[in-house]
Amino acid sequence: MERAEIHELSAPYALDALDDRELEEFEEHLAHCRECRENVAAFQAAAGELAYDTDAPEPSPVLRNRILTQAASERPTVTAPPPPRRRWALPVAAAAAVAAGCAALALAFWAADLSQQVDDLEAQQHGAEEIAIMLADPDAERIPIDGANGALVVDSETQEGHLLLFGLEEAPEAHTYEAWVIEDGQALPAGLFSGGEDRATVVRLSEPVPAGAVVAVTVEVEGGVDRSEQQPIITSGPAA
Amino acid sequence: MARGLAHLSDEALVALVARADEEALAELYDRFGRVAYGLALRIVRDPALAEDAVQEGFMAVWRSSARFVSERAKASTWILTLIHRRAVDLVRREQPRRAEPLEAAPHESGDDVEEEAWLRLRRTRVQEALRRLPDKQREALELAYYGGFTQSELADRLGEPLGTIKSRMFTGLASLRELLAEEDLEEERWNEPRSTS
Repeated sequence: MERAEIHELSAPYALDALDDRELEEFEEHLAHCRECRENVAAFQAAAGELAYDTDAPEPSPVLRNRILTQAASERPTVTAPPPPRRRWALPVAAAAAVAAGCAALALAFWAADLSQQVDDLEAQQHGAEEIAIMLADPDAERIPIDGANGALVVDSETQEGHLLLFGLEEAPEAHTYEAWVIEDGQALPAGLFSGGEDRATVVRLSEPVPAGAVVAVTVEVEGGVDRSEQQPIITSGPAA
Repeated sequence: MARGLAHLSDEALVALVARADEEALAELYDRFGRVAYGLALRIVRDPALAEDAVQEGFMAVWRSSARFVSERAKASTWILTLIHRRAVDLVRREQPRRAEPLEAAPHESGDDVEEEAWLRLRRTRVQEALRRLPDKQREALELAYYGGFTQSELADRLGEPLGTIKSRMFTGLASLRELLAEEDLEEERWNEPRSTS
């Protein structure tokens, strides 16, 4: 389908008037097109009002129980395993460029997920307070990361950055994770950490994260390095 | 509700549902179950199928609540969107040859007077807005939304080019949105003494 034409599908999409093929195509497009996402949101709100033009007869009381019973038998939101991690096979600069392109669209969808993960985390009593303080900060910008579950949180006022990583496995023996702040093609070492399965890792970055900078993580030999030859396993979108 | 969830916003309830809170799901059902069922029934025109659509819709709420982002949509819109999608899926699967979408018909009132009044208000509001739309736009919206027709089916059925149907939907929804906003403004004017400034 022509690109200009696909923008016209936000109204039929909001009315559920696309066939399967169109739907798939449009949802793919939606992931990249902010304008269409905004149109869809507005159109869905209007279409949602159409739902009220019904008699709204009382459904059978049995229905409520059926739904609650089925829900009780499925508790997927807390037991779902994290998505498989992807390893970057790209040099730092290229990876950063890719991340920059995807950042804006992923952020909104991802925000709700984070609060869920933070809740899980609190149960583990690890870094909970630090995270809570960070997220409560009105200047905190959450930036999605690729390669692991978690986020980059940057205080846009002070440019102080934290990496939140969930369930990152421990660095291999005699190795460490190293964080980098990349700006204008320059990578500054920003801290070492070890990770660990089944828990959250909060990494306070030792370098400020200015707007447009990207944070990456590599695996290095113990003690870290000043200049990495490694490809990053985690990259963030650009800081706002 | 034992835990007193009644004071929570719809959005807060969805956040609780994302943590697998069954009572929060029950509360959402108590708030939207009736509208959801009415909508599904109007689309699928069969009580048993409508119940299936509502059940599947609420299960979609249960399963995907962690992905709901309150900055992007109201929780009520999101829930009704999920219900609508299930109902449309069902009617497309079950009835490849559909007749006219069922006109909403009067019915006996339920026993919850307050809910009844509130639903009637919402309904009048959207009916009023629909009435003010040009006929062709209203027809496109109604056949798509309540009839479950795809845009291509509509183009065939109405003997119009697909582009015309698309643009009727686009303009129709945009106008509907404006009309609803206008009505809200008018209502605000009536309620002025209560508003905080």
